[in-house]
Amino acid sequence: MSGEKNIKTSPVRDLEIKQGFNLSKFLVSWEMVLVYILILINIVLMVKKTNLYFSQGTIQAIIQSGMDVCPLVLGMIFILMLGDIDVSVASNMIFASMVTGLCCASGAPAFIGVFAGILAGALCGAFNGYCVAYIGMPAVIVTIATSMLFRGIVKIILDVNVLKVFPSFYTTVAWVNIAGIPLSLILFLIMGAVFVFILHKSRFGRKLYVIGNNATCAQYSGIDVRKTKLIVFILMGAMCGIASIFFVGRMGGSVSSTMGTGYEMTAIAICVLGGVSTNGGKGKVYGPVIATLIMAFLTYTLGLLEVDANSRKIVTGFILIIAVLIPNVNRQLIANIKLKAIYKGNKNVEALNNRTAEEVKALKNAMAEIKKDTALNESDKTAKIKKYKDKIASLQKKCKEQSAAWLQEQKEDERKARERFAVK
Amino acid sequence: MSEYILELKDVVKTFGGVTALDGVHFQLKKGEIHALMGENGAGKSTFIKVITGVHQPDSGMMLLEKEKITLRSTEDSAKLGIAAIYQHVTAFPDLSVTENIFMGQEIKNKFGIYNWKLMTQRAKELIEPLSKNIDVSKPMSTLSVAQQQLVEIAKAFSRDARILIMDEPTASLSRRECEELYQITEHLRDEGVSIIFITHKFEDMYRLATRVTVFRDSKYIGCWDVDKISNQKLIAEMVGRELTQMYPPKSAQIGDVVLKVSDISKEGYFKNVSFDVRKGEILALTGLVGAGRTEVCQNIFGIMTPDSGSFELEGKAVKINSPIDALNYGIGLLPEDRQTQGLVNELPIYQNVSSADMSRFVKGGRIDVAAEAKNAIELCQKIQLKAKDISAPPSSLSGGNQQKVVFAKLLSCDLKVLILDEPTKGIDVGAKYSIYEIMNELTANGYAIIMVSSEMPEVLGMADRIVVMRNGRIAGKFDTDGTTQEMILEASLKHEDGRES
Amino acid sequence: MRTTESNKSILAKMTGNRNFGLLLGLVVLLILAAIITPSMYSVNSIINMLQNNAVYGLLAIGEMMVILTAGIDISIGATLSLTGVVCCRLMAENPNVPAVLWILLALLIGALCGAFNGILVGYFKMVPMIATLGTMYAFRGFSFLFSGGQWWFPHQFTEGYLKFATLRILGIPSILWILVLVFALAILFLGYTSRGRRIYAIGTNRESSQVAGIKEERVVFLAMTLCGALAGLGGMLYTANYATCSYSIGEGYEMTAIAICILGGVSISGGKGKVDGVIIGFLMMAVITYFISLLPGLSVWSDAIQGAIIIAAVALNIYMERSAERRALKERSALI
Repeated sequence: MSGEKNIKTSPVRDLEIKQGFNLSKFLVSWEMVLVYILILINIVLMVKKTNLYFSQGTIQAIIQSGMDVCPLVLGMIFILMLGDIDVSVASNMIFASMVTGLCCASGAPAFIGVFAGILAGALCGAFNGYCVAYIGMPAVIVTIATSMLFRGIVKIILDVNVLKVFPSFYTTVAWVNIAGIPLSLILFLIMGAVFVFILHKSRFGRKLYVIGNNATCAQYSGIDVRKTKLIVFILMGAMCGIASIFFVGRMGGSVSSTMGTGYEMTAIAICVLGGVSTNGGKGKVYGPVIATLIMAFLTYTLGLLEVDANSRKIVTGFILIIAVLIPNVNRQLIANIKLKAIYKGNKNVEALNNRTAEEVKALKNAMAEIKKDTALNESDKTAKIKKYKDKIASLQKKCKEQSAAWLQEQKEDERKARERFAVK
Repeated sequence: MSEYILELKDVVKTFGGVTALDGVHFQLKKGEIHALMGENGAGKSTFIKVITGVHQPDSGMMLLEKEKITLRSTEDSAKLGIAAIYQHVTAFPDLSVTENIFMGQEIKNKFGIYNWKLMTQRAKELIEPLSKNIDVSKPMSTLSVAQQQLVEIAKAFSRDARILIMDEPTASLSRRECEELYQITEHLRDEGVSIIFITHKFEDMYRLATRVTVFRDSKYIGCWDVDKISNQKLIAEMVGRELTQMYPPKSAQIGDVVLKVSDISKEGYFKNVSFDVRKGEILALTGLVGAGRTEVCQNIFGIMTPDSGSFELEGKAVKINSPIDALNYGIGLLPEDRQTQGLVNELPIYQNVSSADMSRFVKGGRIDVAAEAKNAIELCQKIQLKAKDISAPPSSLSGGNQQKVVFAKLLSCDLKVLILDEPTKGIDVGAKYSIYEIMNELTANGYAIIMVSSEMPEVLGMADRIVVMRNGRIAGKFDTDGTTQEMILEASLKHEDGRES
Repeated sequence: MRTTESNKSILAKMTGNRNFGLLLGLVVLLILAAIITPSMYSVNSIINMLQNNAVYGLLAIGEMMVILTAGIDISIGATLSLTGVVCCRLMAENPNVPAVLWILLALLIGALCGAFNGILVGYFKMVPMIATLGTMYAFRGFSFLFSGGQWWFPHQFTEGYLKFATLRILGIPSILWILVLVFALAILFLGYTSRGRRIYAIGTNRESSQVAGIKEERVVFLAMTLCGALAGLGGMLYTANYATCSYSIGEGYEMTAIAICILGGVSISGGKGKVDGVIIGFLMMAVITYFISLLPGLSVWSDAIQGAIIIAAVALNIYMERSAERRALKERSALI
């Protein structure tokens, strides 16, 4: 503060970014933790079902099983990035499937059907986006309502019928491997790369971060918040249309009005597991991409371990909860719990104990050095060590006594407070 | 020494490593009004929260009438007759006035069921002597700030407060409302209530207090009788050094008119506002809080669009429908609240700096981060930003340096007109000086600046011309030379004939 | 100020009332329904209609308390399923135990589920949507585990168990009496007790609540526990009402409960909304669903209609708020 008056003479500050790549930080980043989890699941599977794991096609099948939700995950990253949420994606996906199916059933060429499906998805997304961005309705409510609405429309049109005419490449996408790699995974990674570029490298992605963290500031910075939101919702809708390709293919080329319930929750769960905050503005694309694979491996592994589908739900649920809770468990929290539990909330006692612990540690280090010191003879060593030991003991005793005294005092105060406030 | 009703000794409070109070003392005499002063961040707000039991001190003693007390919650302090009126009115906006008054001490029958009828009646009795215009059944959010403060006072009454703490109650009141508040405060004192009056305004202190305590940097600095300490000395104590020169000298050449605002009106905010600002000039827009100054700025910047009137930029008529338009025309706004409107605390400084004009760094669809950072570093070095490095988040900076980041953001755009809405609000005295220097440098470089400010000395010290607003209209225009504080005050107050805001 | 208010016409006063729009909507709906399907209005069919929707009412009241704290609970459908399954299975295995035990058990299990949510949201500060999304999965999974995939059919239900929903007292089934009791208790709790008012307080302003010494965690915990308990009660009554049960019951019920709250004028950002509004919302939803079920071929429309109605209701709400703002601005403008 005091230097600011002599502003003209003060030296130019070096503001260059000093810290470059930090390996230890990288290794404990959330994305890497997800990679470890993925490896861990693989190891469990390998050990438990060795034969199956190494037999041909298992890994591919596992990956394929989880890919039908992947376009929804990618779209959802952007939605969550804005601090909004979209629970209509599953209904939207079915709606888009229906449009494609109807087009194909009426004999239109495949590409028109696919295009119509994606367009229908985008339109549904635009409706959501318009309600959220321009009318100002809360995203949760709008999308809850539109999830009923979109699926409702499908129900009205299809009733109990099943659409079965779809372009043949749908099933190819979902079931075929190219050079041993599932086509769906390849497509997912390509789409993922595009999303990485948009979010982390482009101007649009930067806008999303700014809006997600502080929408008011974004407005004052000349960012068209409403337009950006609308675009993101339209993009989500288009991704629903693309998801319909994966989904219908996975279902063997058929769709009915009751299919795909719960996909929206899976997509959100994967994003959250991938480290995208539902408050907006935090997270990367890599996390959810890895989390999609984790989810696929997890459900499949549990299936192989003869855990039924519904019990897998329990696991999914708890994983979701734990994934959100873990980042909150840090040194601060542990210190707080210790303060409350051991030191009865008395910060003086905490400080004393911490100080004593540090001193004791220093003494112990000194002691260890003496033990190693070959220059000293045995009797000197033992004498010195004894001295140190006594010192430690006396320090710890003093600390204990003082803590007890302070805690006693605190207890007394509290008792008085209780009495005083009980009477009044 | 039983004259002290409340004493605090060596109070320490830390929040996870940050020391908010560092061995603070305080003594309050029975039936006095005691001013507590200090810069922002000096620890005043934490101090109150310790007295009222919101926070428990880490160490130190609190004596009430020479008896040691331990407060576990606000309930305890309420039972002892300690009440507080907080700076940002801490009401429940959707709940009724009655419920706000009785929050925490509701009248219930023996089954724990509220007696709304009795509460409403009691609330009416409490409010009546303070103001006749408050309907106790209405939600708190329908009242003006001054009325809300009266409700808070009524709340304190209802608890038979012996010690009342008022945290900057006059900060957003008009002069008339201030006067009313002074009278109520004095009346309270005469009834034997001891009052701690926290304020930034020396006027408040001279008008009310008998003694003043100063905090600085979370520490206790001293306590003086108000009539025995000079204004200059008090400022020095608050700042920690003598301030020889408050405002830097100006060197700008004033040129042609850049922006002309003609006759703009916005329903509910202001009517028929016209002024112009020239190249190299600082135009101050002043008046009381709520006079419509911020809204005028927001209309120029496109946050809102005026219902009528027009803007002329360098002689050409322009339509500004959004901040995007404004920035394209070269008009920038430094918003009033930098935390919510100016900064993204989660993103690094260089991204904040470039957020208003990212297109410059886009190459082949992607943002060139190196160029972006380089540009930010250049700008920030120019304005002497103090930060670890350019990738640190703004939340790690002090208020003054945060404001500099917002400045850098504006400077990275190609602007002609800068609107600064309370540029030194919430910034400590030392950092203010460097903000003033930046402003002068900008005008020297040909920017036109519109500065909104409530601080009279700042207006007189920095501006070339002054426009005073009152109640949504322009009440006077002055050249700084030959204008006095009294003239501005008169313009911003006259004709305020008995209307409740 | 006060004098001008009393001079306002009754109509103006009514239109100023939040519930006026709701009531108007309900009346319009009723008239519309009467024109299209006159058979709708017999005492029996009305009772029938309410009986079949009563569970939604219970859920909506619980959901409302959570939304008032600016939270949301999407696990209540799963909670309902879990309690339903546990009660049914134990009841089928122990037919001789007095049935009142099952209703207490349902409340307990529901409260435990809600309390778990409350701990996550209140004490661990998780985002309500995500926390309850996780528990939704978990509860539904537990429900399946406990049911073993089994279904329960009417012949497996004891008479005492079924009576909790279907016994007619004064011609009205007991499930409706219970619903009315819950409504009454909710009005009392949210309007006249300090715990209930605290729910509004933290929803309207969390910082003030802290200063006022309100323990935010506890209030959130309480609201979510109560919500869970009501969902549990709903689970038991659902199975008693329909005399069937499987782990898949109650799917999507949370959405309907939220929809009722929104229709009833509960603000999703917390702090605003009254029980009477929710009751009207509940009646509207009941009329709509029943009306739809009466018309042949219309049943496939129900989802779409529900969705459209929610969007319309929220849009209307926003429009009304905006016009109120505009009015306030105009009033202020006169002073300039």
